[in-house]
Amino acid sequence: MSRFGIAWLAAPATLVCLGLFAVPLGLLLVESFHGAQGWSLAGYRDFLGSAYAWGVVARTLRLAALTTAICLVIGYPAAFALAWTRGWVQSVLVACVLLPLSLSVIVKAFGWTVLLRANGAVNLALMGLGITSAPLRLLFTEAGLLIGIVNIFLPFMVLPIFASVRQLDPRLPEAAATLGGGPLYCFLRVVLPLTLPGVIAGGTLVFSLAIAAYVIPTLLMGDAYQTLPVMIATSFLYLQDPMRGSVAGVVLLALSILVVVASTWLGRKGEAA
Amino acid sequence: MTATTTRRHLLRASAAGAALLASPAIVRAQTKDLVVGGAAGMAGYMKEFVFPGIEKRLGIKVVFDGTRSLVNLEKMRADRASPRMSVVLMDDPIMQLGWDEGLIAKMTVAAVPNLAKIKPSAVHFDGAWANYQQPWAGVAYNSAAAKGVASYAELWSPANKGKVIVPSLQNTEGLWTLLVASHLETGKPFKDAQYDMDAGFKKLSSLKPNVLTVYTNQPQAENLLESGEAALMAGQFSSYTLIRAAAGAPVGLAAPKEGVFAMPSGICKVKGGPNEAMADAFIDAYLSPEVQSILVEKSFVLPTNTAATIPAGFVVPADPFVPDWSNVNKNRDAWIQKWNQVMG
Repeated sequence: MSRFGIAWLAAPATLVCLGLFAVPLGLLLVESFHGAQGWSLAGYRDFLGSAYAWGVVARTLRLAALTTAICLVIGYPAAFALAWTRGWVQSVLVACVLLPLSLSVIVKAFGWTVLLRANGAVNLALMGLGITSAPLRLLFTEAGLLIGIVNIFLPFMVLPIFASVRQLDPRLPEAAATLGGGPLYCFLRVVLPLTLPGVIAGGTLVFSLAIAAYVIPTLLMGDAYQTLPVMIATSFLYLQDPMRGSVAGVVLLALSILVVVASTWLGRKGEAA
Repeated sequence: MTATTTRRHLLRASAAGAALLASPAIVRAQTKDLVVGGAAGMAGYMKEFVFPGIEKRLGIKVVFDGTRSLVNLEKMRADRASPRMSVVLMDDPIMQLGWDEGLIAKMTVAAVPNLAKIKPSAVHFDGAWANYQQPWAGVAYNSAAAKGVASYAELWSPANKGKVIVPSLQNTEGLWTLLVASHLETGKPFKDAQYDMDAGFKKLSSLKPNVLTVYTNQPQAENLLESGEAALMAGQFSSYTLIRAAAGAPVGLAAPKEGVFAMPSGICKVKGGPNEAMADAFIDAYLSPEVQSILVEKSFVLPTNTAATIPAGFVVPADPFVPDWSNVNKNRDAWIQKWNQVMG
């Protein structure tokens, strides 16, 4: 009884999720089986039989995987700095992570189109430091896209790991060291397992955001870089082919669900160990 | 006390407002409003330089509804039974769709005398719609990086590696790059090359090393050209690039030797639209030498009325090529898909 009583608190959220997510997604699924000639599997047949579509899927997954990996490498140590510093240093670090979130993605992506130019700040810095002798072409390259997208999604990796690290008792690694564990052993057997839930949460968030990113690749790569979200937009807006767009939408959704399920499973496995 | 008065005032005002809304015909008859649909981007110079003169001469008030051609088409479809707009200014490919769907009323020389003075290539389907101006499209260049563009082959030149911007085929101006590619690959004139786009895609694939980006957002691309990040931008038209150049931006628009293209700006009468006589008079004004001379000067377009005057120093490229838009509309979806495969 009391359990049901508590469950009612989720009623508004449930209604919003059903009305604004479940129903439209259901319609999307229906649309993907329904074309001009009535019900058919033609949309899926065309999509799965097209080498081009597979290329788009591979590129989308590659972008999401690279973004997640780079965010993890940069974000994991940053989360420790954030959690274990004190005083004004910590305040500054927290501000560095949170403040960029208040800026629109479009503004940030446009900003990168200026910074990544041949005479932009990034190239001037690289040449000023003597790392390069001539401007590198960064704008409209995958490297430039990764710089921009990692910058924009990094807070979503740092914050969940930060939450895990804060719950980690700093004395635990010390205890492990006292008992004779080397630094690598301590990290792999004590620190990493205890922060794994944060890593999984952050990884899932960043991967889901990157796989569905539309504005950032469009602005930093242009129309020639086709990912699933760009393909969906083109299908609906220009080709007036809702079936093709819906199929691409369902494929994108399936990939995202796969990632969420896999990460939940990984998380449970981590807890059990 | 005050509250009661306010509420009464409010009620009275609401009642008056409701009465006004319930009798739109009276309002329309009194003010002689003519609702004209067009592109949002043209609203500025049309309202400043063109509408006032027409309003004064015809004794009407132009209500300009500025959006995109595709949106105007959607409105015409939705209001088919009782159209709100009388006249619409749209791109030719969208005009074609409107004509095919029976949304456009044919114009006659009796009602629109200036129609007879428009050059034949600018009158479509015997008066279904006419081009009131022809912005011409060539290749835009950064004036610090180039002095001009002699041939479209320069887009492919190794000297321009990573320096060329191309409009997406989703944009109307995207067609010109594909057409040029087909012409260069086959050696056929534009009028024949437009039916051999497979050759165009073949040639286009070799443009890739030079392509900095393919845009759908023109202002962003224009910014890259003006800042020198790009040297050349294909498919650009006079009523955009030359307005920027006149404002002092370091850009120019070249007319390569192979020829330039007509960017299609059409005007039509909505079938069953209100104030038919007024609509005819408005269209006649747009096709008149007086209005077209203003447009030539303010937005760097070619006039279509043979009697329109061209200001001194205005460079007029040879007759711009007008493609077969029905062929374009028929193939556009397949071309866009192929374009994405070739350029992606």
